Amino acid sequence: MKKHTITLTVNGEERDLIVSSNRTLLDALRDDLGFTDTKYGCGTGECGACTVLVDGTTSINGCLTLAATMDGKSITTAAGLARDGNLHPVQQAFIDNDAIQCGFCTPGMVLKAVSILDENPNPTEAEIRHGLEGSICRCTGYTKIVEAVQDASNRLSGVGE
Amino acid sequence: MGEFKVVGKRVERVDVRAKVTGGAVYAADVQLAGMLYGKIVRCYDYAHARVTSLDLSEAAKCKGVIKVLGPKDVTQKEYNASVLDMMVSANMRGVLGDIDDQSIFTDHVKHYGDAIAAVIATSEEAAERAAEKIKVTYEELPVYLTAEAAKQPDALQFRPEKPGNLAFELPEMAFPDNAYAWGDVEDSFAEADIIVEDSFYVPKQKQCQMEPGSYIALYDDQQRLNCWTSTQMPKLVQKKLANLYELPMTRVKIHATVIGGGFGARLGMVLEPETCALAMAVPGRPVKLLSTREEDWVTSPSRHPGKYWMKMGFKKDGTPVACDAKFENYKGAYYVDASGTAFTTGAWLGGMYKFDSLRYRGESYYTNQSICGAFRGYGNPQTNFVMEQMVDRGCAELGVDPIEWRKKWHKTVGDDGWCIGVPYNSCALDECLDRAAEAIGWTEKREKYKNQTGVKRRGIGVAVMNHTSGAMPMLLEHTVCDVLLHQDATATINLACSDMGQGSHTTLRQVAAETLGFSYDDVHIATGDTDAAGFDIGAHASRTLYVGGGAVKQACEDVKRQLFDRAALELEEDVSNLYMEDKIIHVKGASNKSISVQTIADQGVNNFMNPENGELIGQPGQIKGYASFFPPHNAPPFGATIAEVEVDTETGEVKVIELVNAHDVGKAIHPGVVEGQLDGGAQQGLGMALTEETYYDEKGICQNNSFTDYKMFGPSDMPKMTNILVENPDPTGPFGAKGVGEAGIVPPVGATANAIFNAIGVQILEAPITPEKILKALEEKDANS
Repeated sequence: MKKHTITLTVNGEERDLIVSSNRTLLDALRDDLGFTDTKYGCGTGECGACTVLVDGTTSINGCLTLAATMDGKSITTAAGLARDGNLHPVQQAFIDNDAIQCGFCTPGMVLKAVSILDENPNPTEAEIRHGLEGSICRCTGYTKIVEAVQDASNRLSGVGE
Repeated sequence: MGEFKVVGKRVERVDVRAKVTGGAVYAADVQLAGMLYGKIVRCYDYAHARVTSLDLSEAAKCKGVIKVLGPKDVTQKEYNASVLDMMVSANMRGVLGDIDDQSIFTDHVKHYGDAIAAVIATSEEAAERAAEKIKVTYEELPVYLTAEAAKQPDALQFRPEKPGNLAFELPEMAFPDNAYAWGDVEDSFAEADIIVEDSFYVPKQKQCQMEPGSYIALYDDQQRLNCWTSTQMPKLVQKKLANLYELPMTRVKIHATVIGGGFGARLGMVLEPETCALAMAVPGRPVKLLSTREEDWVTSPSRHPGKYWMKMGFKKDGTPVACDAKFENYKGAYYVDASGTAFTTGAWLGGMYKFDSLRYRGESYYTNQSICGAFRGYGNPQTNFVMEQMVDRGCAELGVDPIEWRKKWHKTVGDDGWCIGVPYNSCALDECLDRAAEAIGWTEKREKYKNQTGVKRRGIGVAVMNHTSGAMPMLLEHTVCDVLLHQDATATINLACSDMGQGSHTTLRQVAAETLGFSYDDVHIATGDTDAAGFDIGAHASRTLYVGGGAVKQACEDVKRQLFDRAALELEEDVSNLYMEDKIIHVKGASNKSISVQTIADQGVNNFMNPENGELIGQPGQIKGYASFFPPHNAPPFGATIAEVEVDTETGEVKVIELVNAHDVGKAIHPGVVEGQLDGGAQQGLGMALTEETYYDEKGICQNNSFTDYKMFGPSDMPKMTNILVENPDPTGPFGAKGVGEAGIVPPVGATANAIFNAIGVQILEAPITPEKILKALEEKDANS
């Protein structure tokens, strides 16, 4: 299997690594770099537990992305959303709205929410629900996740401040 | 009960900061030095076959391979991954028919995905590549997928001690005529004016917890077997592994990690025995075993599917005279939980309505499918689908309103609960029904949706349920808790209760803080270490808050009693004259006489002699509270759901418009936690009613063990949802609380089915109610009219 030397900037820190052609971004993040906040839920791009952001706010499934194709890219995982110990407004909204139960979908769900709100800062409830399709949560029935994204949208756009 | 300071508040959950930043450590996230990786070779070609040859030689030569293991290279001891045998007395094990019929690897494949052999290698990829080189040949055997097939006289026998492939039926010793019963149903049916009867099918639903099974095991240098697992039941898994590997409990340690959802899929052992078998083969090296989603699907238990027949009789005035029912479940390849669900499915039936007579028979048949076991509700969703549709058919024939009928005839305080002889001690189901009906506009909508003729037809339906808080008195209920009071007057609560994500560590901490009179921040819940924690049955049966919370409360009261005893000595007052406020113990009516908890706690640890008089300053000894708690009851929660649906009579599609869930939760220790249980339960209940089933082809090959092919309700499928928490404190629950972990999944099942009945005037007898089944039922209805 061909090996590739690549550079990934993960959560703002540059990392060099050698990966086989078939190495997924998910495995590279988890096993090679120790970013275990990116989760394996299905390996087939159905559940979104491995969601990460590429070059800012584009969400992708780590399990469907080959690490070698990400050379030179900047990756954000849930661990990289918080800055200087302060949670990202989306993270805080998930906490405040009780949108977290087992937490296994949470890192991917939060990143997906960040990407939804970047694309559309004031989404309707239906747009949020549509945007979350592809991210499975089995604990919450999505109710409080949707409320958290609405709340985060308000926080980010300064409503109520 | 007065005003609570911590209980009832929406405090920040203990685990959410770690979870939202990805810092929470699940079993798959644990990295240990020198880690090896296991891969199990499973049979995916047949559901029933004999292994005729197994060639491990090519795999052993692969790069990175440390060991290749066949059935003879690991313990030959048979076991039962379930834990029911540890929840009953020794003589009851025989009554429950428990047998050890599982093995680490098998040469007799009994289901799609059965384990044949394994590889241990230096990386996951190396293990996978080597596993592909293991050559297995099989002799195909006949496949039995249903009870009807398995009980045929010429069917191959799964186990010689279980003739007819009948793994379990309610035992004659405890259940005369193999039935859970009261009265005489035949006599009662003779008095009935209206009799309804039908045969239903309930599906093999999967928990689909987000974290697939992940395990690490290490047989360490102290010859201790360590297992990192996100099990629901650390202490029982510890004992089960000790039994299997013939080790004392002191040499088995479970490192209970954060759990990525359970819903029953992690009740008892799952792949802990296999992971430990691999680790025992390479002492001193940790071995990690990660299931793929597809593998997890067929190795962890599912909901029991099966045929469910029911007959109900009513008098003209609505009196329910008799109910007769039989559930023949397709239990899967191994005995696991054959007895439990077969019984409880009838228990929930018996606990609901005041029938003059009732008879329920439950039978579990071996089939060539993956195992069935615990899944949120434990038989209750199955019963809800059938019982509630039969009640609504009866109401339709009687011409009575389904809510009015239920209010009149549901069991309540003083009636026998789900366990005959244990009466209900609290019930607010009437209020649940009234408030749900008002919230959704029941009366107006029932009227409005009569006699619709359009393509799209609306319907509204109700269902109710009873459940339990813990499994007492059928099964052992016991939690041990100790509370260490630190010298700075904060406390660590040590116990083995696991939190699957439902929020139990948060609510246990609230119970502790409230009882101690401390702030939420003053208390820490320590779990996850079976060396340190005393006994706990584990997270099942909606018990953690009720029983675990009872233990926490009692242990904290023990701390408080010790504090008051010491304060009484220091203040030279009687304990009855003392009260505590903001961690200061005061003398009633004497504002200048007090001592702080901080002082007592500190003097207990840092105890010195007064150099002036040679006496000790304060009372020596660090305070520790303790409880070994057996609950007095099972505080049954009740609930009602009203569902509104729209059925497209051309496509058969069902859109759920709205769901109102009203539950008698006793006391909501944390309202957000309770709402979360009802929200999440509803998503699973709607799935069971409408979309979720694991399918097998005629050869027993699983067709949809993946998120691609198994349809759950997604964010856009979920209806508008309202949760109503009816707080009617239970006299036995901690601060009045009841268990709500399972309740939420149950009534959405029956309510959805009844809403469809209301919309189209015909009942669908098989769940999930797919568009095909609706169209077929409509065609049959047209043909008959």
